Amino acid sequence: MTHDVSSAESGAQLFARLEGRSSLKNIEPRIFPEEGAPVPGDVVEFYGTEGTGKTETIYHLVARCILPAENGGLEVEVMFVDTDYHFDMLRLVSILEHRLPQSPEETIRMCLRRLFVVHCTSTVHLLLTLHYVENMFCSRPALCLLVIDSISAFYWIDRSNGGESVTQQESNLGKCSAFLEKLLRDYRIVLFASTQAIMRSYSGEPSRAAGASSSWRRCPAADGDYSKPYLCKAWQRLVTHQLAFSKTDARRDSRAVFSIASSSAGTKSTSRCFFCVTEGGVQFF
Amino acid sequence: MVFLREGLCPGLTEEVIQALRTQEIRTVEDLVSSELEELAQKCSISYKALVAIRRVLLTQHTGFPVSGADLYEELLSSMAILSTGNESLDVLLDAGLYTGEVTELAGGPGSGKTQVCLGVAVNISCVLKRTVLYIDTNGGLSASRLLQMVQSKTSNMEEQVEALNRILVCRVFDVFSLLETLHSLRSGGLEQASVRNGPIRAVLVDSVTAVLSHMLGGRQTEGMSLMMQVAGALRLIAKDLNVAVLVTNHVTRDGNGVLKAGLGQSWSHVPRTRVLLQRVDGPQARHSGLRWATLLKSSRQPCHQKQQFDLGSGGQPADSHPDHLQRREQEDVFKH
Repeated sequence: MTHDVSSAESGAQLFARLEGRSSLKNIEPRIFPEEGAPVPGDVVEFYGTEGTGKTETIYHLVARCILPAENGGLEVEVMFVDTDYHFDMLRLVSILEHRLPQSPEETIRMCLRRLFVVHCTSTVHLLLTLHYVENMFCSRPALCLLVIDSISAFYWIDRSNGGESVTQQESNLGKCSAFLEKLLRDYRIVLFASTQAIMRSYSGEPSRAAGASSSWRRCPAADGDYSKPYLCKAWQRLVTHQLAFSKTDARRDSRAVFSIASSSAGTKSTSRCFFCVTEGGVQFF
Repeated sequence: MVFLREGLCPGLTEEVIQALRTQEIRTVEDLVSSELEELAQKCSISYKALVAIRRVLLTQHTGFPVSGADLYEELLSSMAILSTGNESLDVLLDAGLYTGEVTELAGGPGSGKTQVCLGVAVNISCVLKRTVLYIDTNGGLSASRLLQMVQSKTSNMEEQVEALNRILVCRVFDVFSLLETLHSLRSGGLEQASVRNGPIRAVLVDSVTAVLSHMLGGRQTEGMSLMMQVAGALRLIAKDLNVAVLVTNHVTRDGNGVLKAGLGQSWSHVPRTRVLLQRVDGPQARHSGLRWATLLKSSRQPCHQKQQFDLGSGGQPADSHPDHLQRREQEDVFKH
């Protein structure tokens, strides 16, 4: 807690802060095309309505991070901030079990030791928690990924608490965004955050996404209804990659097929991939 | 928002609070996110004292990261699956209601939501011998029906009394009383009632729609905020007290005429598992207790599985839903 003011920084801390983080560039080439892969400091927003596979994809990526290198994982640590009280440990374990066939229970536990889970009950709680976990980012060079599921969880509560003033309504999330920016910059981590698509953009209403600052964002046609960004500007500015999730009408082996449209600020192009959800997690094709 | 006040933590005296207030530092989050060195100079408070205060306040007000391995360990030792006593539902729910999760039953008027809830309550109290909190928001709970269902499970008088004792009923008719009930449950206020019968393992809310739907709509945000607070409280209780939460919801039709659960997009994210209840169409459908249950959302099973079951299998004709209630529910639907 004192590190940001005391001038002394231990060698390990300096190393963790500057050099020690591994790259997440190869986290999932099927979602992120080569030039659009997340590099340290990037923010990936998982955007979609209910039941479009956001959480499944997050589990898939978290599993990829915490699996040992010999099983095709990245062997890095993950901090999972659960604001929706939604995190399903059994599901994650069953995905891990499918990736680690015939491995002893101990291997799974070893993977899970690379994961930290923290629950939050309000935006203020989230802000304070982020301040609190800064210490962990500082002292654990293997901690590369911060996941917030979801960043929009307290939107309505904040909005109503802020009264008439938009600044008041957005102040809490604004503060979180500002602090996240500092975390990302100082510790070179990657942030994955999910946003629930709940705002309908009626045709004729100019979508805020059309603004100059975020023109790279593409919203998928299938979910065009709920494509209106509604979180505060400070957050929108932070986002460098967007994954727009939608459910297609197609079926494969009687399973629903989901699609991800991936776009990033860097490449200005959109790539699409399709997957379905099986017992062992997300399966791309 | 937590305001700084005396006694919040050692070292936070009235003078310190006054000094901080001159710099517009009023809440914990203001203090935590401020530049302490600068602040210490401006308020002429010792820097060390400020750092200490900040550290204590932070540990008091944050969530603590738990290692995934510990969480898994804890889950394995505490998780339970409560059978609903209804085979078809158990198939869809993958064995029953999971503690730590919110499950939703959606259905139109007369689709059997309340009957299923009563059945679940009776099964948990009578067969599993666990305590249930039944929050009734629309007056649909009938004690005689409960007794009837208990009687069909056991003929032993003592067991019947015990089973009924394990069902705690709470009647609330507005969202504020619902929130109050949920908060008091969390802070242990209902412990007294449950101490005799063991801890509460399931909370049923029939229905959430009755207290929420009339608050929504228009351009106001208060109703949405209250709805999300109810959602937060339910999920918090599910996780923290390790109980299974079952709520009921009405249905609406989307643009293509397909039935979907009510209360809109924001609520749709709240339950982990959702089952849709429908009448079975047929010649004597009106009077039969046959219902379709369809899995709409699940993280464990493929969705859109269907199962048929008979509401009346508890030894009671299915159309026991009182008429005036049906009308009331219908009115609720028309409001949307």
